[in-house]
Amino acid sequence: MRAVRILSKGMLVVYLGLTLVPFLFMITTAFKPGNLAQAIPPAWTFEPTLEYFRALLLGQSGASDFSRLLLNSVIVTFGATILTIVLATPAAYALSLQSFRSRKRVSMWILSTYMFPPIVAVIPVFILAGDLRLIDTYPVLIVPFAGFALPIAVWIIRGAILELPESIDEAARIDGANNWEIVRHVVLPLTAPAIATAAIITALLSWNEFLFALSLTRSTAKTAPVGVLEFTGLFGTQWGFLTAGSVLIVAPMLVITLILRRRLVEGLSFGAGK
Amino acid sequence: MLLLVAITAFPAIYLLQASFFDFTLLGDSRDFVAFDNYLEVISSSSLRSSIVKMVGFVVAVVALELAIGLVLAVGLAKRTWFNQVASTMLLLPLAITPAVSALVFRQLLNPNFGWVDHYLRALGIMDRPLEWLSHPVTAWMSIIGLDVWQWTAFVALILMAGLQAMPREPYEAAVVDGASDLQIFRFVTLPMLRPFIGIAVVLRVIQAFKTFDSFKVLTDGGPTDSTEIVNLVIHRIALQSFRIGDAAALGIVLLIIVSALAPLVLRLLGSNEGVAR
Repeated sequence: MRAVRILSKGMLVVYLGLTLVPFLFMITTAFKPGNLAQAIPPAWTFEPTLEYFRALLLGQSGASDFSRLLLNSVIVTFGATILTIVLATPAAYALSLQSFRSRKRVSMWILSTYMFPPIVAVIPVFILAGDLRLIDTYPVLIVPFAGFALPIAVWIIRGAILELPESIDEAARIDGANNWEIVRHVVLPLTAPAIATAAIITALLSWNEFLFALSLTRSTAKTAPVGVLEFTGLFGTQWGFLTAGSVLIVAPMLVITLILRRRLVEGLSFGAGK
Repeated sequence: MLLLVAITAFPAIYLLQASFFDFTLLGDSRDFVAFDNYLEVISSSSLRSSIVKMVGFVVAVVALELAIGLVLAVGLAKRTWFNQVASTMLLLPLAITPAVSALVFRQLLNPNFGWVDHYLRALGIMDRPLEWLSHPVTAWMSIIGLDVWQWTAFVALILMAGLQAMPREPYEAAVVDGASDLQIFRFVTLPMLRPFIGIAVVLRVIQAFKTFDSFKVLTDGGPTDSTEIVNLVIHRIALQSFRIGDAAALGIVLLIIVSALAPLVLRLLGSNEGVAR
């Protein structure tokens, strides 16, 4: 295996280098003073400036108020995450119970909903939201986002519950605990890490969502990934604002990734990337 | 009580979703037109080609990501501190908002101010700036490159997990039998890795069929309609032209194509629960 390993190690190093280029571009450009942002050859020495970040957050960028966009993103993300966990935790518990007859079929069904293409879902949601006058409101994003994250969240939490040894359940029963007490004092504390993982992955997916946010919002509920597009258009691109906005959108998700590390892949792959 | 909530609330949400989907199917075109929308989808060559483009895109990116991901995974399999750091760094593109990464790629590919053109010329690979997004072939290269950049790590890390979970004995046996590196890879590693390859491919196929953001931001279907995949067409005719009936019919066609994958997905991921325990 030595030859193969050396080859793939070389590829790995090259690939890592290429992977980091967009980050390097985004982060350096965001801190470059105005006249250097589009300089060719790219400027590598410059005095870092916060002017773009400041203007963005104070709403002086000439486009939508970016702090409002970020606030919308935060509200929608938190809403979707809470809704998902509130629904996914009991569902996952039910799916792990031996007494729930059709648990296998329901599990499969939940899994298959992951395949549902959002582009097909956006049409009916758009029409319904229009009828209910919900276009450009938070719920019209929160509910679909939760819908998209549910299969993954249920799967993660269910996996953790199934991993609990049965003897714990038996011991609690011998001590006279009923179903509710077992869930409250045994299952929930022991699966808290999985629930946290599910919550974080839901937050990541909701924060990054673009299709629904683009289609169903106009101004008041517009999220940051849609808003940042305003800095590019027919009349040229404002690289400073664009990259600074991108950094603001991406930074929290990078932090999340560093916290989750491999659990991110494990969760997104329904348990395969362990 | 929790059980009750689960059994009632949970299917209700998905039934609601499913009912939406019936609702658009025919009920929304105010007049009942039976299968006219479908006939239009099937007979229109541009709509058909948007489906072909979609499938071609999915096949291309998944094949590339699998090939590159496999090579990376082999390099990452050993648990060293370098590999720990490398696998964490590889994760970063996964977390990036796809719309933002497309936006960043678009600036990188800018013929006048972009880094790609500048450094390719500095390295002598290109002699003059190229309008990447104005030619069908280079536009496709760009968009496939973006997807590979964003998602290869996902494949690589699943395969890495597979490699790390493998027992040592078959390798030792193969070495004793005098197998060459390539033979070991071909006849020992690959067969044992198969379930993980299966899961990675299926998940990537599903995700690739959902791709919208990168096309919308990077090319918006252009130049003309050369990169207009079916997802963009649905979005355009439903939400910009409001031809809901046509869009719904096209959506159903897409749904049927994706559903063909369902048995495979359920088998691979459903049995995965055995792996997870």
